[in-house]
Amino acid sequence: MMQERMGTICLLVAGCSTLLLISVLLFMVLESWPVWSAVSPLAFILGTDWNPLAEPLQLGIGTMILSTLWTALGALLLAVPLGLCCAIFLAEFAPQWMANILRPVLNLLTGIPSVVYGFLGATVLVKFFEINFAMASGESLFCASLVLTIMVLPYIISTSESALRAIPPEYRQVSLALGVSKPYLTLRVLLPLAKRGLLGAIILSFGRAAGETMAVLMLAGNTMVLPTSWFSKGEPLPALIALELGTSEVGSLHYQGLFAAGLVLLLFVLGMNLLLALFRRDRRSGVS
Amino acid sequence: MKKFKFLLVSLLVLLVLAGCGQTSEAPKSEPAKETAAKDQSIKLGGSSTLAPVIAKCADDFTEQYKTWNKVDPQLPEEPIVIFVSTGGSGFGVKSALDGTVNIGLVSREMKEEEKAKMPNGKIIKLGSDALAIAVNPQNPVVQVKPNLTTDEVKRIFAGEIKTWQELDAKLPNRPTVLAIRDLGGGASQVFDELVMKKTPVAKEAIQLPSMGALAGKVAENADAIGYVSTGLIKQNEGKISALNIDDVTPTNENIASGQYKIARPLLLVTKEQPDQKQQLFIDYLLSEKGLKVVEEMGFVPTAK
Repeated sequence: MMQERMGTICLLVAGCSTLLLISVLLFMVLESWPVWSAVSPLAFILGTDWNPLAEPLQLGIGTMILSTLWTALGALLLAVPLGLCCAIFLAEFAPQWMANILRPVLNLLTGIPSVVYGFLGATVLVKFFEINFAMASGESLFCASLVLTIMVLPYIISTSESALRAIPPEYRQVSLALGVSKPYLTLRVLLPLAKRGLLGAIILSFGRAAGETMAVLMLAGNTMVLPTSWFSKGEPLPALIALELGTSEVGSLHYQGLFAAGLVLLLFVLGMNLLLALFRRDRRSGVS
Repeated sequence: MKKFKFLLVSLLVLLVLAGCGQTSEAPKSEPAKETAAKDQSIKLGGSSTLAPVIAKCADDFTEQYKTWNKVDPQLPEEPIVIFVSTGGSGFGVKSALDGTVNIGLVSREMKEEEKAKMPNGKIIKLGSDALAIAVNPQNPVVQVKPNLTTDEVKRIFAGEIKTWQELDAKLPNRPTVLAIRDLGGGASQVFDELVMKKTPVAKEAIQLPSMGALAGKVAENADAIGYVSTGLIKQNEGKISALNIDDVTPTNENIASGQYKIARPLLLVTKEQPDQKQQLFIDYLLSEKGLKVVEEMGFVPTAK
């Protein structure tokens, strides 16, 4: 009886939070609806001119999407090798006491507010680039990527470590019985087995990096130029929304365009997470 | 233990439900309040630049007096209700004309045809919103060329003048770093209207999320040039320097007299002569207290 009631209550609460997600999506679609009829979705996504106040108005977020990809993929390029090595070390090689110190420290990194990262980056990194590379202005997509790297590292490490630990002990025992060396066991046996989990870790952190706002807003430079290299300035999607939503006129196409940009970002990150879920399910039915 | 947990969960659910109930009830009670307040309230609306100033003043005003009879003993003992809404200067003029608001808030010059539609109306200048063209004090331009023409400013921000040397041969061959506000902001609109005149700002310009951040950027980057609210120039004295535009220094006197050109007026507009209550509030806005708020928000108050 008691359990039954608990069950219904939990169902209710869970249902509410699911409803919340759906209503957010619905709201974004409704708010951005006029944009999709004013500009075709393809022109909106691929267009490189964003000037919603000009006559005729230009709504194209291609520049921002490209900037988002640069920063997020750049962050992954740096974070994945580092994070994987860290995870392998923690799961396989680190002595118990050392892992017990390192793990909480790494997890603490997730607790640092992103605005603090952004602020540190703006005062330290931007200045560093200005002085050492004689740049007129130190902000760049690379700068944003560097900070994002630190921000997503803990996610990569903890997810890939648990993927490595989830491998059944039989594999280790068999390898030991065959007299295989530890590096061989790790690189040739464990890594291929945990492949899906590791890929999941990468996708998860990509979603995180693409959606991060504050640090990127303070470091990417926010220019409208199409970024041609990692070291040029750009304006990632979250930065665009954070910058302009506050001052846009409610109900104008500018406002709706920002919602449309948000919808694109949301679908993008949501798609990433769905992909992750797909990998997770595969893994479960796969190894164990 | 289990019972305790159950209690906790049900409490949480109750809280959530209570929260839901409240939000759905809120809109119901509001219209009732509005109709009751309709006849005696003052409605202002328009420019999003001016609205925060007016909203702050309206708050102070209602806080101080609470009822009308305390402002003026002849008035009945009715609560003071002032509504402030935003929607842009155009909306301010339009709704003042059609009576949606009693006083329109406009942060640009009134057009002649708009003035013609309100022959009995009143236009009251509360102050000006001025932008100074600011550079880092370490930039030699401060000594070499402290006077820029509007056209030079326009060419710098349009990206035609890309290095300081192109501006003046005595200046170093370093790129100009353009610092601007994001598109929607009032400042960028003023700048577009008064300086750029439809020429787009260079895409290389760095957009900053607030006036404070813009001033900070200019203060720490020796090659930066940006438009900064004149209020902030005073706050950051020594860290950023304002250049003269067409030989006019952006001082409060020059802005108030209209000699400094990169500025726009902040206006209150009424279609007819304001009634007694409206006049009292306008008087309050023009009093020392009101003008102090104008100054605190980074604008130049009108001369008393």
